[in-house]
Amino acid sequence: MKLTRRYCSILSVLAFGLLLSVLAQAQASAPAAAAAATPPSAAELKDAAAKAPTTQQLQAGDPGGTITGTVNDVPVSDTKTGLTLGDTANQVGQNKIAINFVWTLITGFLVMFMQAGFALVEAGLTRVKNANHTYMMNFFVYGCGLLAYWLIGFAIQMGGAAGNANLGGLNSLSVEHPLTLFGKTWGIFGGAGMFLAGHTYDVGVMVIFLFEMVFMDTALTIVTGACAERWKFLTFAVSSVLMGAFTYPLYGNWAWGAGWLSQLGTNLGLGKGYCDFAGSGVVHAVGGITALAVCFLVGPRIGKYNRDGSSNAIIGHDVSAVLIGCFILAFGWFGFNPGSTLGASANGNLRIGSIAVNTMLAGCTGTFGAILYMWSLKGKPDMSMSGNGLLAGLVAITAPSGFVNTTGAAIIGLVAGVLVCISCWFVENVMKVDDPVGAISVHGTNGLWGVLSVGLLADGTSNYGGSWNGVTGSVTGLFYGDASQLAAQLVGISTLLGFVFTFSFVVNWALEVIIGHRVSAETEVAGLDIPEMGQLGYPEFVFREEPEVLRHAERAYAVA
Amino acid sequence: MAANTGQGRGFTTFLVGFTVLCVGIAYLSTGFGKFLIAVGAVIFVASLFSFLKLKPLEGRPAQTATPAVMKATGAGLSLFGWILTLFGMHLVPSVGGRIVLSLVGIGVSLIGIVFVLPAAFNKNAIWKA
Repeated sequence: MKLTRRYCSILSVLAFGLLLSVLAQAQASAPAAAAAATPPSAAELKDAAAKAPTTQQLQAGDPGGTITGTVNDVPVSDTKTGLTLGDTANQVGQNKIAINFVWTLITGFLVMFMQAGFALVEAGLTRVKNANHTYMMNFFVYGCGLLAYWLIGFAIQMGGAAGNANLGGLNSLSVEHPLTLFGKTWGIFGGAGMFLAGHTYDVGVMVIFLFEMVFMDTALTIVTGACAERWKFLTFAVSSVLMGAFTYPLYGNWAWGAGWLSQLGTNLGLGKGYCDFAGSGVVHAVGGITALAVCFLVGPRIGKYNRDGSSNAIIGHDVSAVLIGCFILAFGWFGFNPGSTLGASANGNLRIGSIAVNTMLAGCTGTFGAILYMWSLKGKPDMSMSGNGLLAGLVAITAPSGFVNTTGAAIIGLVAGVLVCISCWFVENVMKVDDPVGAISVHGTNGLWGVLSVGLLADGTSNYGGSWNGVTGSVTGLFYGDASQLAAQLVGISTLLGFVFTFSFVVNWALEVIIGHRVSAETEVAGLDIPEMGQLGYPEFVFREEPEVLRHAERAYAVA
Repeated sequence: MAANTGQGRGFTTFLVGFTVLCVGIAYLSTGFGKFLIAVGAVIFVASLFSFLKLKPLEGRPAQTATPAVMKATGAGLSLFGWILTLFGMHLVPSVGGRIVLSLVGIGVSLIGIVFVLPAAFNKNAIWKA
């Protein structure tokens, strides 16, 4: 009976998704024809300069904002000649780059603020005795990641990523180490940009560094949630440095830094190469899959599983922190996805509006998917799954946000919302992996779904400068006529599961041998705040006695 | 024992070693760069030894020994799935064939991750005791 009800609920959700997909097909694009314009003559420029507001007029103030910013504000290269067409064109070019710099920096700042959201969500979902430790991991991961990325990670990832017209070319990032295989040349890792010194001491490189760095840190902080309440602080710090230096940058290079995944289109004719607009794969799946690898090694928390293998719910301490954290993350996602155009001016970047709306919608339908699933099957709209549903929708739309229409975004979010509930159940009850915050399901499972969805639902209307990954045309998925894009996305997924997981597992297995991932049973039972951090997260709280099952575990595992 | 000064010093040494190593790599073409790589590697390895020395001082964690061969098999299967995909796309020219081979590769990786590794880690799980 229960099973029938579950199938009915899943079928209703799928039917709703099917209806939305019909709507998606109906959405037509209507690109506007570009109007031709004649450049101004030198005489017209002089005339405009003569008609510009005088100093007296400007001294009188400009409350309406109609005379501030005129032809007189365009810098001239030679004061004797006055304003020339060349000066005007240079200023237009610099304005384009300036708009893109400011856009990329501000969206990067928004992404940086997501660290606060992650800290609140993760700490809120853990017990009060581990609050300080969980907050501290989220705080310190920022520094560990940034240092490692500045030292070597950025060079590995973006050292060969020259040619971005939005940010002035980034021409100093021109060292990509290739490998020739089956007669084709494939990018493996970059080489320019260590310490941002030498030729990479460049304004454009600084902008891309900041933006890519905050993305990398997002991936790192995913792991801290999955391993919360038992991860030794020292091992966490070392593991985070290594992930920021190698794991993330390698996959980042292959997808975004002129690496081999991005060359699948030019080398093998697979769509436009592997497409991951803002990082469902590069950021979230890498974080979620690494979290799974570390979770295997660190093991489940004391009291999580009973002898018969059934699991106990270990409830977090602060609902308000969790839901406020989710909203902060949703806000930060407006930096994550629209910011990934790396510009707001030229090259089809005006699609930022569509990307922002897609982001909103997928978050919304993700929340609905999770709430309706839990409410229908478990009887209550579960708080943590509701928050995870929102995040799952946002994670899933991250890769396709720049390539799908709003109906596609709604479908992707809805599927993600249901998927996160099923995945959390599977990870906890079938794999017996203890993930206190659901990070593996939210970021890993839905990161993979996001990558796949590009290959299915990209509608072929985006046009970022006429090509993507060096292949002319627009990214188009299977449902819009290009099966080869799906093949490229599947290669990306295989790489995430086969390479990223194995690499993370081996690195962290070595750390298990050298340092040990897990705190002692005594420390774990007491709570990590005092032994690991030296003070409680909430020193004035009176602790409530824990449930019998956890006290039993204390007796069983405590070390004399 | 939890966090302590030894761990703090060890982590500082680790960061110093790693930084010097990176400076050496950045200037690899020069003699000084090669010298820094050697110095960085020594400091880096020294930090790992300090971690190794500190490890027994930590109390016993709530973990039991897990079969290493089974863990290696799980990780190996996961890697093998990727290699299958990687070489498959060069060996098969059609899009359909590449999709099928990628799916096979993903399936093999998932067997390693979803079935073999959990079986390895849960074989002697402490909650079963």
